[in-house]
Amino acid sequence: MKRKSLGFYLRIYRKILAQDLKSKMSYRADFIISTIGMIFTNISGFIGFWIIFRNFPSINGWSYHEMLFLYGFSLVALTPVQCFFDNNWSLRQYVYSGDFIKYCFRPINLFIYFQSEVFDIKGLGQFAFGTGTLIYSWIKLDLAFTPLILLKLIVFLITASLIMIALQNAAAATCFWTHNSFYVLDLAFRFKDYARYPITIFSPVFRFIFSFVIPIAFIAYYPSLVILRPDEVPVLSWLSPLIGTAFFFASYKFWMYAATRYSGTGS
Amino acid sequence: MSSIIEIKDVTKEFKVLNRHEGLKGSIKDLFSRDYKVIRAVDNISMNVIQGEIVGYLGPNGAGKSTTIKMMTGVLEPTSGEILVDGNVPYKNRTKNAQNIGVVFGQRSQLWWALPLVESFKILKDIYQISDNAYNEMIELYRSLVDIEPLMHKPVRQMSLGQRTLSDILAAFLHDPKIVFLDEPTIGLDVSMKSKIRTLIHALNKEKNTTVILTTHDMGDVDALCKRIVIIDKGRMIYDNDIENLKSFFGSYRTLKVRMDGDLKEAAESVQSILPDCSVTADDEWISVLVDEDKEGVIDVLGTLQRSFGIKDMKLEEISSEDVIKKIYEEDGL
Repeated sequence: MKRKSLGFYLRIYRKILAQDLKSKMSYRADFIISTIGMIFTNISGFIGFWIIFRNFPSINGWSYHEMLFLYGFSLVALTPVQCFFDNNWSLRQYVYSGDFIKYCFRPINLFIYFQSEVFDIKGLGQFAFGTGTLIYSWIKLDLAFTPLILLKLIVFLITASLIMIALQNAAAATCFWTHNSFYVLDLAFRFKDYARYPITIFSPVFRFIFSFVIPIAFIAYYPSLVILRPDEVPVLSWLSPLIGTAFFFASYKFWMYAATRYSGTGS
Repeated sequence: MSSIIEIKDVTKEFKVLNRHEGLKGSIKDLFSRDYKVIRAVDNISMNVIQGEIVGYLGPNGAGKSTTIKMMTGVLEPTSGEILVDGNVPYKNRTKNAQNIGVVFGQRSQLWWALPLVESFKILKDIYQISDNAYNEMIELYRSLVDIEPLMHKPVRQMSLGQRTLSDILAAFLHDPKIVFLDEPTIGLDVSMKSKIRTLIHALNKEKNTTVILTTHDMGDVDALCKRIVIIDKGRMIYDNDIENLKSFFGSYRTLKVRMDGDLKEAAESVQSILPDCSVTADDEWISVLVDEDKEGVIDVLGTLQRSFGIKDMKLEEISSEDVIKKIYEEDGL
C-alpha cells in the first residue's frame, strides 16, 4: 500500500469539504438566514464592547483602540475553529446515535476524516469582520507595518487558533465518556469571550488559570502583545507558538485516544 | 487453502453499571461503582477461507455486531486473537480498513448530499484505487445492475432499496478481500431483496470476495450461504454447512391443516392434544411441527382427524427458517 502523504490528505480533505459546501449551498434559505444571523451576532458583540468604552476611556491602561485590536485579533483567531472544526459540535450526536462507526471503516486518519466533513461557511463573515476591526485599530494605533511584523502577526494568529482548536477538541472528546459533551463544549466556547480582554484586568487567581490551566490568554492577549507592546513582551508571548502547537498535538492525541473507547450501539 | 479470517478463542466483555430504577435510583447511579461484567462474545473460534460466503446468524443481542466490530477493528477483544488477512484489526485499523468493505443495512456511509458518482470519486481517492481498476469495477457494476439512474442522484433522494444497493456497490468498489454485510436486506421489498442477493452472489463469484453476512432473513441465507455460523448469548452454537443443518433436523416436517372456525383458537386446542409438537397459526393454516422420530406425521394427522373437521392439508419439508428458530429457542445443540 502506498504511504499516505500530506498531499494525499490535503486532496481528500479538499474533496470531502467541497461536498459539504455543495450541500450547504443547496439549502439556500438556511444559508442566507445563518449568514444574517452571523452578521447580527458580530454586530451585537461589537455593540456591547463599544458601550463599555463609551463609559470608560480605558481599561487598566488599555485604550479603546488597543482593546479593539485584541477584539479583532480574537475574532480572526477563532475563525479556523469555526470553519474547519465545527463537526466537533456534532460529535456527541454521532456517538450517541451510533453513526460514528462509519468513520471507523475508512483507511484514513479518523480525526482528519471526521473534521473534514463539515465546513462552516459562517466563519468567513467573522473572519471579514475581525480583519476589518484589526486593520481599523492598526491604523488608529499608528502601528508599524513591515513584512516581519506581518509574518509575526500570521504566526501568532495561527498559534492563537491552535489553542482554541485544542480546547474544543478536548471538550468534544469528553463525549466518548459522557455521551453528551454539549455542556463541556459550551463551557469551553464561552471561555473564548474572556479571551478578548487583557489578562491583567483579572485577579491573580484567574490570571493563573487563564495562563496555565485553560490557556485562553494565549488566544489573543499574549500573542497580540508582540505587536501591540513590542517593548514589554513577556516570555510567555514568545513561548506561545510552542505552547499552541503542544496543546494542539495533545488535544489531537486525547481525541484519538478517546475515540478508541468508542464501542458503538447495537444494531 | 489458507484462511483469510482467523478467530481464536475470542472473548469480549463489557463493564456496565448496575442501574437502579426511578429518579432516586438514577441519582444513586451517579455515584455508584457497582459494575457488572457482561460477556458479549464468549470464547469464539472460526476460520474463514477466501471466497466463502458465511451466514453469521443469531437472535438479537447474541453478539453478532460485537464480533463484526472486532473484525473491523472498532473494538478490541478482551482476550483471544483475531487475524484478518494477516492483520490484527484493532492494532492496524487503517491498514485493515483497506482490505475490507462494510455495509450496515440501516446506516448509509455515503455522503448524503452527493450523487453516487461523486461519492465513488471520493472513495476512489480514499482507497487509492487506480483509474483502470476503478473503470473496470464500474463496467462490472454496469453489467450487473442498472446503475445509470443511481449515479447522478443524491443519496438523500434515493429510496431505501436504491440506497442499500449503492452502499453495497460502494463497499465493493476498492475490491476488498472481505465484505461485511450487516442486515443488507432489512426493510426492502421482495424484488429489491432478490436484486441485492443476485448482486452479492455475482460480485462474490466475479471477484472471489469473502462475504460475512449477518441477517435475520433466511431468504438471504438460502440464496447465498453454503456455510452458516450461529451464535447465541455470545457462544458459538453451530458452524457447518447449511445442508448439514437441515439433515440434523431432517426428522422434522411441518404439517399444515385448514379447518373451520377461528384458527387461533383451534390452534390452542390442537396444541393441547399434541403436546410433543409445536403449533402455530396464521390466517390460512395451522402449522404443526412434527418430530418424526417421536411420532409419525400420518399418526398426527389421524389424531387431528378424530377431533377436528379438517378441510384441507399439506405437508412441508422443514425450512431453514424453522431450523434456525428451533435452534434459537432451544439455545444450543
